[in-house]
Amino acid sequence: MEMFKPATLEERRIYYREEWDIKHVPDFIVNSVENREFGFDHFGRGPNDRYKVFNTPEYLKRFMKSKTPFAAYCSVAFYEKPRKRDGWIKSELVFDVDAKDIPIRTCNCENVCEICLREAKEIVSSIIDTLKGDLGLNNIHLVYSGRGYHIRVLDEDVMEMDSDVRSQILKYVVGADLPKDKYDDSDGIYNLEHFSIPFGYPKVFTERVKYAINHLTQDSKLDDVNAKLLKDVLTNRNLLDRDEWGLFKTKIGPLRYKKVVKAITSLNMGLVDAKVSIDLKRILRLPSSLHSKVSMRCMEVKNINSFDPFTDAVPQFVWERK
Amino acid sequence: MISMSFINPLSDEGKRIVMEDGGNLDRIYDENSQLIDIVYSISAQETSDDAFIPKNYSDLVIKRVEWFIEKKSDPDYKHKKYAYLFHREITKMDTIAFYILCQAIGVKFGPNSRESRAVVELQGQIIENRLEELLTSERTEITQKILNNLIVQDKIKWTQLADLVSSKKISLQELVLKDGNVILDREEFMEHFGEIIKKTNRPPEKMYDVFIGNRIKELIIIKMIMQNTENYIKSVHERVKIIEPNPILLKIADKVSEVLSKEIRYYGSGSGGGTVKASPLNVDLFPPCIKSALEGIKSGGRNEVIVLFLTPFLSYARLNPSVFRSNATLKVSDVDPDLKITKNEILPMIYDAADRCSPPLFDDQPQEKININAKLGFGMHDELNPQHEGETTWYTPMSCEKVKLQMPALCRPDETCKSIGNPLSYYTRKIWQNKSNK
Repeated sequence: MEMFKPATLEERRIYYREEWDIKHVPDFIVNSVENREFGFDHFGRGPNDRYKVFNTPEYLKRFMKSKTPFAAYCSVAFYEKPRKRDGWIKSELVFDVDAKDIPIRTCNCENVCEICLREAKEIVSSIIDTLKGDLGLNNIHLVYSGRGYHIRVLDEDVMEMDSDVRSQILKYVVGADLPKDKYDDSDGIYNLEHFSIPFGYPKVFTERVKYAINHLTQDSKLDDVNAKLLKDVLTNRNLLDRDEWGLFKTKIGPLRYKKVVKAITSLNMGLVDAKVSIDLKRILRLPSSLHSKVSMRCMEVKNINSFDPFTDAVPQFVWERK
Repeated sequence: MISMSFINPLSDEGKRIVMEDGGNLDRIYDENSQLIDIVYSISAQETSDDAFIPKNYSDLVIKRVEWFIEKKSDPDYKHKKYAYLFHREITKMDTIAFYILCQAIGVKFGPNSRESRAVVELQGQIIENRLEELLTSERTEITQKILNNLIVQDKIKWTQLADLVSSKKISLQELVLKDGNVILDREEFMEHFGEIIKKTNRPPEKMYDVFIGNRIKELIIIKMIMQNTENYIKSVHERVKIIEPNPILLKIADKVSEVLSKEIRYYGSGSGGGTVKASPLNVDLFPPCIKSALEGIKSGGRNEVIVLFLTPFLSYARLNPSVFRSNATLKVSDVDPDLKITKNEILPMIYDAADRCSPPLFDDQPQEKININAKLGFGMHDELNPQHEGETTWYTPMSCEKVKLQMPALCRPDETCKSIGNPLSYYTRKIWQNKSNK
């Protein structure tokens, strides 16, 4: 069986006519189908068939079965007039984690593989934990995109928020801002490192820094971090398993520690495709559709712990390939 | 006891003060002996010069603005000149002055003006300074009282503060969040984090004082009042569309603007140097991100960089470099009537950068030329035609924050970048410095 090989036209036809079912499109899309813009890529050259509207799921079904598109997308935005992308009502809040674009991958593969897809899943889990635990968001849907994951948040409170708030949420959940280290009250000023604050944003940041350090390899590239410093980080990172941050910082040296943390802060911004999160009118791959470039099914993930893309998202025609 | 309107003039109490006063604008130039007496009665007040004393409401409005300017920019700033602004005895007069100021700015300049931003900032600073001068017990009490008044529910969801987050008056990271609630209450803090803090060998009570205490509460009330001030100015501005503005307010607004203009370099995005006129582009003075974009993009994101980032920057840098300083909305043809500069200087630079991309942008995406025209304000058309101008918006240059988010690879800040918020401000500042050095 050959995985990650592009699907042929014939395979696409088999997929949409025999395997795909409108029931596989998640309810959160079906229930708002008439308010969303749909887009299609028929020839593998990008989604240039845009502004499509389906008033009922039945019309979408007919279209998919007859056109068997290379790729199918639908808007994260809800419109009054989706055909014109006019009358914006609200948009899902989205986080796009693409396994091939994760800044630190331990696999160093060229496309995607089991290792980086697992790492994408770990990142997605931690983001969801923060969205729930800190931000109190609950209407969260996870979609396997074919090469990574889309976290789609449909809590009413956030769907009307503008790009500026979305960018702050993004930076909060990925740890893309250095927390301040000086605090004051009526008694004086206190220096507190992020790792000594076990709540709020500093806690989230500490978790993200730890994840990044644990996934660094000798070949990792970090801004302003030379090979010697990287080596020292790798040598001492076992201290973080016991949360001995103070000792880790001492071993590395306070100024060099600052350099490492600063570099990770900017690297964290690349964990998620920021353009997708702040764009209120983005179209995203339609769950249930085929990612023809890699012959994987884009699908909603009901249980992140048990989900395995290599069994759950592989279309039947791939198993039958010779 | 501290009156609510001393801190929040937009409170019900503040509104009542204005109603009871009758709101007769004809009286604002009349000498107000009550005001003068109050100012003289404040022992900390400098009275050596008669000019330090506000004689009427109009004076008080202007003094508020002068205080803001001098505190911000005058190295010889003397707090004693304005001590009355921070004494509770002034509450009633000051509340009325606040409304006159906001109405004047609302009718004349509207909410998105330099004047409006300054007034909102001014109000925030007045509140901050007033709180600082209170006794600790009074400060805690009034903060809690105002917070209860501003937020009706027991628990505050961070989503209720979205306006403040959006306008960057408050950062999400400053808030201590749990299940979507902003933790402000000591007991609640202990319940959620007490045990885990004990494991770090730090006293949880102290952590609460340092992280939340009154600090976050004060921050929230200050920022909410600033937001409400902005909203009030906006509502006044909208009313002007229906009702003829009072000439007295227009006169006050002009005076406020005059005071602000004396120190224009200290405002808004004004860290980018003085006003710069349209002139040929000087690539040497471009910020690092623009220089990098001009070299072409070797990986993904070519469209965004060329169309959304470079096109607005180059066009504004060449034609309207001081866009963030002026209130006027210009079109390309206002500065370049025959579009010669746009066609002969700006577009060639954009096209060259597009060609330097790998692969060259227009090879596989020729339609992006139309998008470039659209971002210059000429609609979705093949050619720049003045007849189509206005069909789309002339995009203003992206802020540094957006660049960091959308195209992080381009952002390699140098020393100058640290003090600016937009690549265009970098350029205007460099031009200004260049001129000054000559």
